[in-house]
Amino acid sequence: MNPVLRIAALWGRHFLWLSLAVLLALAALAAGLGLMGVSGHYLAAMLLGLPLAVPLLLQYTGAARVVLRYLERLIGHAAIFRALADVRVWMFQGLAASAAGGLGFRRAGDALTRLVNDVDSLDGLFLRIFVPGLSALLLAPVLGWVLWRAHGLAPLAILPFLLVAFYMPVRAARAAASNGGKAGLAMAGLRSASLDALQGLREVKVFEAEGRMLAAVQAREAALLAAQRELVARTSTLNAQSYILAQAAILLAILLGFFGLPMPALVAVLVLIAAFETVLGLPRAGVLYGQAAAAATRVVQAAEAPPPVPEPATPSPMPSRNAVAFEHVSFRYGPDRPYVFENLSLQLPQGSRTAILGPSGAGKSTIAALLLKLVAPEGGKIRLGGTEIASLPAEAVRHRIAYLSQATHLFADTIRNNLLIGDPTADDARLWAALEAAQLAGMVRALPDGLQTWVGEGGATLSGGQGRRLVLARTLLMDTPILVLDEPCAGLDAATEQEFFRTLNTVTEGRTVLLILHRLTGMETLDRIWRLVGGNLVAAAG
Amino acid sequence: MEHNAEPLGKDERKTRGRRANPWIKAEQRLGFVAARWAMALGALQSLAAIAQAACAAVLLAAMLHVWHGAGGMVLAVLGFTAAVLLRAYLQMLAEREGFELGAAARRRLRGGVLSTLLALGPAKLRGRHSAELAATAVDRVEAMDGFHARWIPATAQAIIGPALLGIAALYADWRAGLILIIAGLFVPFAMALAGIGAAVAAKKQFVAMTRLQTRFLDRIRGISTLVLAGRAGDEAKALQAAAAELRQRTMRVLRVAFLSSTALDLAAAAALILIVLRFSPLLHGHLALAPTALFLVLLTPEFFAPLRAFSAVYADRMAVEAVADEFMHLPPPPAPVPPVNIRSVAAHGVTLGFEHVTFGWGEGRPVLENLSFRVGKGEVLLLTGPSGTGKSTIMDLILGFLTPQSGQVTINGAPLDTLVPAARAKMLGWIGQKPVIFAGTIEENIRFGRPEASETQLADAIRHAHLAELIATLPNGLKTMLGEGGFGLSGGQAQRIAIARAFLKDAPLLLLDEPTAHLDPAVERDLLESLRHLSIGRTVVLATHSTQAMDFAKTIGAKRVDLDALRYASWRSETV
Repeated sequence: MNPVLRIAALWGRHFLWLSLAVLLALAALAAGLGLMGVSGHYLAAMLLGLPLAVPLLLQYTGAARVVLRYLERLIGHAAIFRALADVRVWMFQGLAASAAGGLGFRRAGDALTRLVNDVDSLDGLFLRIFVPGLSALLLAPVLGWVLWRAHGLAPLAILPFLLVAFYMPVRAARAAASNGGKAGLAMAGLRSASLDALQGLREVKVFEAEGRMLAAVQAREAALLAAQRELVARTSTLNAQSYILAQAAILLAILLGFFGLPMPALVAVLVLIAAFETVLGLPRAGVLYGQAAAAATRVVQAAEAPPPVPEPATPSPMPSRNAVAFEHVSFRYGPDRPYVFENLSLQLPQGSRTAILGPSGAGKSTIAALLLKLVAPEGGKIRLGGTEIASLPAEAVRHRIAYLSQATHLFADTIRNNLLIGDPTADDARLWAALEAAQLAGMVRALPDGLQTWVGEGGATLSGGQGRRLVLARTLLMDTPILVLDEPCAGLDAATEQEFFRTLNTVTEGRTVLLILHRLTGMETLDRIWRLVGGNLVAAAG
Repeated sequence: MEHNAEPLGKDERKTRGRRANPWIKAEQRLGFVAARWAMALGALQSLAAIAQAACAAVLLAAMLHVWHGAGGMVLAVLGFTAAVLLRAYLQMLAEREGFELGAAARRRLRGGVLSTLLALGPAKLRGRHSAELAATAVDRVEAMDGFHARWIPATAQAIIGPALLGIAALYADWRAGLILIIAGLFVPFAMALAGIGAAVAAKKQFVAMTRLQTRFLDRIRGISTLVLAGRAGDEAKALQAAAAELRQRTMRVLRVAFLSSTALDLAAAAALILIVLRFSPLLHGHLALAPTALFLVLLTPEFFAPLRAFSAVYADRMAVEAVADEFMHLPPPPAPVPPVNIRSVAAHGVTLGFEHVTFGWGEGRPVLENLSFRVGKGEVLLLTGPSGTGKSTIMDLILGFLTPQSGQVTINGAPLDTLVPAARAKMLGWIGQKPVIFAGTIEENIRFGRPEASETQLADAIRHAHLAELIATLPNGLKTMLGEGGFGLSGGQAQRIAIARAFLKDAPLLLLDEPTAHLDPAVERDLLESLRHLSIGRTVVLATHSTQAMDFAKTIGAKRVDLDALRYASWRSETV
């Protein structure tokens, strides 16, 4: 489906608002043309010494034009902003469905451009393209009639009108579309170069890369400006051509007026001037269409990317038990990448505690990714409570599992809100209990703002170990039957680590626990310990 | 997560209290000076418009058979055509010139902002979201484009255009001219009234927009955490609320801002009606006046066109109001080191000293109090102590990101702040907990340590950092792209890149800030081996709480400073 139409379909919910906006726009246009027409009529009547029409009509059309224009602007914007708010949320939801494994190569800065700038630029589709385009379409026959009254041949002046209203915008849209990709890429490049320079500020200073980073940003900026300059050169030419076409049409109408009736001729010329005023903005809108269409394509692409693991067409009912079994699972990250596992089997009985040990890169975290349906096995089966997870909805599977990964994110928010991600219904007592279990309660209590403390970007105001304990507390809050902790104590000192494991034994009573570790502290109470070597699990002595 | 309304309230109070932002004034001055050629183009367009209207009036009068003269007719057609072609050409030039004005301004502003931020460094920008800073360097600079490219030329033209057309109208018929000028003067008056309201509203709106932006980037970064916690639905609702707030704020701005366009519509309609009525009693029997009347009717839309154009770019002006605070409140760039006292220090073999250094972040107990130690050439210093006791602060002091409140940090006996910054930077190597991997190939990421390094030096660094094996498995070898946050690299592999960078840089003083914090023992052992290699012949400061790393430090004969013990000791001496 054409992305522009896809976006328009999303706006269907606001059909009434949008229709009202269109009606007001048409009424305002009619009043504007009426004002010019009535003025011309009045003026011609005076000049020709004819009996005068009622001047009151002049004032009424004038007043109507002013009021209708205001309402048109207001309602048009109100309608489109409602529609755009929906698009933002729709896009976030789409990304959430497709990006569970992390954004990977798609850069977060790029996604930001997408939501904010692309969605914002979509308002032009309605306000500056659809509404004036529709107006021009309805205007053409009216104009034809007015011109025909002046002289039989005068409707010829419609031709330039149609060119300006419809052909020039298409040319401008083509120019913008061929340029849009280039400009968009340059903009995304500029954004990520700037983010790189600022996020890596420490590295940049240490390696004296200030000049290099600045040069990199300026190179991207120059590319952006070059792309924009190219587009301005083409559109300014189109605008000049449109202007010449409009004036040629007016000159034609005047000259034909010599051979027709004077009064309708003057009315026709003045109405024609007013009509061109409405459509001279359309070539510019064409540029906007090119840009908005590209933006719509990116938005739709991001929002409708397929989920990493396809959902089952007819999901099986969720099993009541929570034992996990891997049966002869094979997996690799791509057809050109080596196998992580070729024949992996693993049993996690309900309520058991298992540890998997192994060096980094051995695929310990891949076990968690498989279980969470972030990736799908190439061969073999993974079962939850006896049912194969491929036949279960991903969300329902994840609902059973609390997962602490190496990449678990700390949000730029308060400690409380970061914890509430784990369980939004938790009361303070439970928050403190989780903090207690994660060995962080003392630190938070000592903070002047306590739970309301702002943790900054990625937990910037916390030390690495404190941030780790905070996400750990969040994970413990999630009241799920299965708990997968991937290196829960990375970055913690030995004493804290031992204390944590001692607590873990009590707070996870009755839950199935999978610990992914690089070594044991001796404090863990475990049922089974496996060592992952070369894609195979080997029983290890505790 | 509900969001916090409090910071916004503060900003509103702040912005209401201040008028006439000096930063905007300065930008405006620069803009008008740069726009001289654009203004000349605008004035020429107005003159062409007058000629065009005059020719069209003559033609219309002839068409109505109230004016005669065939020779004049031909001249009028020619004049009209010439005026139209000239206007079209001037308009095209003006559009291009406007773009160049905006482009030049963006280049200037972006260069300035980034140079300042890069000069300030991480410690002075502590607590500021990097996405927020990037938004200033990218989006807020882009938001200034309209101001220079469109608003400044349109503002000039809104004065020049009506002035020239007004004079022409007065010359043709002083009463009608007066009507136009009075209607024209009403417009800026009404716009100013609407504008004051709109500017106040615009600032609030931009704060909401920035918040939505920052929030979204943060949520996108953590989207996998949200999805896995089953919270994406709630977050979408929160986003919806934020978007609704944005809409309401935007509408509040527009409701007022549209009034200025309405004032313009009102003035234009009134002027047209009054001019038509003004001529009605005169025209009976005075057909000679007909071209004048028609000229004025045609001139009326031309008279308001520049005002209309000005009102159309009002959003560009509001955008500036909204971003100006952010530009104004950027910290000033650090003062250059005074030319006196600057010295560079021999690059080979470095002695590092802390002499009675005290540093704290604000109220309360300082992080470091009266700390002194000395690390000689080629020696290793091990810093230990639980998180929060100041290990990273010591690193930042050595790196020069922070300045001690009292005492001094010395290199080869020279206080740090008297050294040429470039020379100081050349002496320092640093590896932190989590290296930043830049978007680019793995080779570019390694060469970040020293871009001009030769192929041999690069190969050596890769070998010493034990990266060769990894690179061999990558699909495109050294040219493999690494995404944001080092996609596809484990913590250990990312750290190897940091080690390779340090090998390439080859600095005599090496700072290792918990380099093995997130790694498993086997990887840690490997990395420590590489680090031992890297440490040979260098002065090293190693902060860690990994037992393996501590053992490693002992095997290479490190001195040790235990910050916890120091703190405990100073606490004891105070209480005794």
